[in-house]
Amino acid sequence: MSMKNIVEMHNIVKKFGSVVALRGVNFHVRENEVVGLVGDNGAGKSTLVKILFGIHAPDEGEIIVKGMKFKRLNPKLAYELGIVLIHQERTLCLNHPIWRNVFMGREITNKLGFLKISDMKKTAYNSLSQLELTRMPVETPVKYLSGGYQQGVQISRALVFEADLVILDEPTAALSLAETHRVLEYVNELKKKGKSAIFISHNIYHVYPVADRFVILDKGSVVAEFYKKDLTPEDLAEIMVSIARTGSVPEKYKELNLYGRTQPT
Amino acid sequence: MTGIHGLKRAWRVISEYKLQIIITVIFLVIWLTFYTINPSAFANPFAYTSLMTVAPYTIIPAISLTLVVITGEIDLSFSSIMAFGPLIMAMTWQVQGEASLLGVILGLLGGLGAGLLNGVLITKLGIPSLIATIGTTFLWRGVVLVATQGFSIPLGEYRGSPVFSALVGRFGDIPIQFFWTIVLAFIFWLFLNKHKFGAYIYYIGDNRVAAQMVGINVDRVLITVYAIHGVVAAFAGMIATLAMATFYPTLGDIYMLKSVSSVVIGGTPVTGGVGTIYGTFIGGLILEFIEMGVVAAGVTGFWIRLVHGLVIIVALAAQGILRRREIIRARIMRLITT
Repeated sequence: MSMKNIVEMHNIVKKFGSVVALRGVNFHVRENEVVGLVGDNGAGKSTLVKILFGIHAPDEGEIIVKGMKFKRLNPKLAYELGIVLIHQERTLCLNHPIWRNVFMGREITNKLGFLKISDMKKTAYNSLSQLELTRMPVETPVKYLSGGYQQGVQISRALVFEADLVILDEPTAALSLAETHRVLEYVNELKKKGKSAIFISHNIYHVYPVADRFVILDKGSVVAEFYKKDLTPEDLAEIMVSIARTGSVPEKYKELNLYGRTQPT
Repeated sequence: MTGIHGLKRAWRVISEYKLQIIITVIFLVIWLTFYTINPSAFANPFAYTSLMTVAPYTIIPAISLTLVVITGEIDLSFSSIMAFGPLIMAMTWQVQGEASLLGVILGLLGGLGAGLLNGVLITKLGIPSLIATIGTTFLWRGVVLVATQGFSIPLGEYRGSPVFSALVGRFGDIPIQFFWTIVLAFIFWLFLNKHKFGAYIYYIGDNRVAAQMVGINVDRVLITVYAIHGVVAAFAGMIATLAMATFYPTLGDIYMLKSVSSVVIGGTPVTGGVGTIYGTFIGGLILEFIEMGVVAAGVTGFWIRLVHGLVIIVALAAQGILRRREIIRARIMRLITT
């Protein structure tokens, strides 16, 4: 495993009015690593990745992407840095065809800004075929696609944009079992291509198969971090329950907890 | 196999353009009905010349309004901008004593400024577009009324000048304003369907959060759309003014409802995200045809509104039914595309 960090977030604090969503979070993702970001509702998972993607500005802390320091990002800049955020349905235009959704915001155009439609369709098709998503023609409006297929379209957007880090915010939340399985396959596909990913879910059985490392957030702070190789899914479940109840990691796992030891320098 | 493929392809094209096909059929049915009721009026080329003379006042602002509606917003103030733009033009001409191009340019800039104001109020101050443009409707109408004290400005003396001929002259039997309408419709169609800017307009109407998340500058697109709409409304007002060779301070009032109706009859829902220039164009023609048909049928003009109302309701009901079927179809498709 490469040890280089693609993204580092240092001491991130975010308040919404009087509510403190994040209390000095340190977080990093290495190259070609899938990080499972887990924790209860309201733990701050979505807020953290929204700061990374530039939707929210942090109140304190700094973000380092590929060695460049930022006080805050914005979505456009995040795209340019190779970060793509995928959210359940939220980043698709349902009335529009697959090919337009793949290129949304980064159209292939001539110098005057007119779309190169056949190029876009062809590139979209090629990227979709890497995920074996060619059952529907690229002209199909996205609203006709199942939830898993829609996630596939978003992932192929990340592939076309040559994103290095794909953030998946609850990508399996509303999916059937078979569909969830497909999305997990897409994540494996990203990893094979050398990409990094952050996978957010409440459901540890969705995160477990794809993640290399787990970061557990609770009430706005990182409380634990484990390598997958050190834990079974049942261990992870036990840890999560314990954190939800008592706020701390059970004694027998404390040895394995990486948090505070693997922080980037 | 190729036969089946061809059929499948044809079916895909038909379902893609379903709304446009329906609106065209409605248009033809209305035309045939009037033709049957009163063949002598509807076989007369003069009827079409007069249609092409007046239809642009409704259709031109409706074309740019379509962009606004696709973004999921609305603009009512264009009806007042249709008076504000030509007011600047007429006053410039009065000062200069000639029908100058400068007057036209200043008038269009007036429309641009009014449009920009709408855009800024809506995006930067977050005022809902319906409310903001009701405000600016009163504002610009007020400016016109105060400046003219309610009097019209006769412009007959400038008839025959190059500006007149360019905007409201004749090309053979064809009124030039109809030519401009088609040119504008084509340009808008081109940008909406083949340009990045048009794509952003659709994305903003379809899913604004998504548009923001992929880095589209939503505010800038919206302000641009309102600015374009302001310029186009001023242009339409100038054509109406020159065609009558008089500036009326009430100009534009009746076009507000007609242009908005053209857009919705044409299949652009006020919820945004979808819509076509073609639909708006035909929608505007339908409204004008009804007016012409009612007059030709020999009944009083009071019937016009009634028939307009009926057609709008029928068109919207048809679209409503289609959309509902579409939602059910989408649900079924989602199940089988896993």
